[in-house]
Amino acid sequence: MIDLIIFLSLLALGYGAGTWAEKRHYRSITERENATVNLPVVTLKSVDIPEHKIRSARLVYGSAVISVDYFKRILASLRNVFGGKVKSYESLLDRARREALLRMKEMAGNATVIVNVRIETSAIGKQSRRKNIGCLEAMAYGTALTVEE
Amino acid sequence: MKFTARQPGINVNVSPTHPLKEFAILAGGLLAIVVGVYLALGLAVDLIVPRLSMDLEKKLAGAFVGRLVENEDVADTTQSLQSLVDRLQDRCAPLPYSITVHVTEADAVNAAALPGGHMVVFTGLLAEMTSENELAFVLAHELGHFANRDHLRGLGRALVLMTASTLLLGADNSINSMIGQGLVLTELSFSRKQETQADEFALETLFCHYGHVADATSFFSKIPEDGDPGRFGHYFASHPENRRRIGHLEDLAQKRGYPTGHPLPLPVDLAADKNPP
Repeated sequence: MIDLIIFLSLLALGYGAGTWAEKRHYRSITERENATVNLPVVTLKSVDIPEHKIRSARLVYGSAVISVDYFKRILASLRNVFGGKVKSYESLLDRARREALLRMKEMAGNATVIVNVRIETSAIGKQSRRKNIGCLEAMAYGTALTVEE
Repeated sequence: MKFTARQPGINVNVSPTHPLKEFAILAGGLLAIVVGVYLALGLAVDLIVPRLSMDLEKKLAGAFVGRLVENEDVADTTQSLQSLVDRLQDRCAPLPYSITVHVTEADAVNAAALPGGHMVVFTGLLAEMTSENELAFVLAHELGHFANRDHLRGLGRALVLMTASTLLLGADNSINSMIGQGLVLTELSFSRKQETQADEFALETLFCHYGHVADATSFFSKIPEDGDPGRFGHYFASHPENRRRIGHLEDLAQKRGYPTGHPLPLPVDLAADKNPP
């Protein structure tokens, strides 16, 4: 009985806190995306700019680690039984990727464009047997170019 | 054309389904499957049980009733009950069982039919008895459970429940410890129908043995309304249920023309226990 109460409390806590954190994070993401909308982030390896006009080219990167909440994990484990889209993890990946991009943009400062952008994702704590920490990291990196006016 | 940077406005990477809705569907589905399997296994057990041989039942029962130990303090009572059961069984309730009566000191007003022909009677029940006929009815009711092999059905379902809960919750969960208390397991799963059949069996046995059905229903009506019925006490599980059972027994007695005679006093051993000097 105690087990069940603990389980349900954790579930409620996970849902409440997780939803709150997610909403707050998305608000912040949207805000910052709007603020940095004029810094192009492209996957092209090169851009058609004469070399003498490029004042600097440097590596920029941003990484974000987002944790799974208890509710999402239980929901995903239920999905493990039946199969199908693990919808509860979709928003985590989405947030991690966008946050990583935003941090990369922040690092780029007032660059003109970021080229050759790649995004990579990895799970953290997957191997630590019983104590599954269950976080994921997204990392975005690219080359920030500053062009003379 | 001038390019203007702007956000896409929609997020295609996150499904719009509400997580609580998804949770309800998945958890509900899983629960439905578990319940379905439990019911199906329970049904399978119902089909198998009547074909189980006595030998096998005794072997199976060992695991559950192995810890029933004889208490010296109530040896006389046990003997007296045993002889009453033997007499009932001898003339009127021929069962393919050798019934062994165990008296357990507990306040519960209850008795239980356990696998392997073990009948457990609590001293709390004996304290409520006022006549031999009343006692005989309760004992015959338990014999009725043996006759219909209800106690085995309870056992089978309990085993299924135990297996399921172990798979889902691990070995040391609360459901298992509840079932593990042994006496609970048969009580838990006697259905209304099984109780009614055992009642009918008891009434017939009573008529056959005494030639009348005096005090057959007195036990039910004697339990105080506000009395603690115990957790799974099946003699007085709920009061409306008892009234139904009394009504059913009286109807049956009338229909078959069973006379009401004079109840016999309690056997000496039991009467002595009730009023210690």
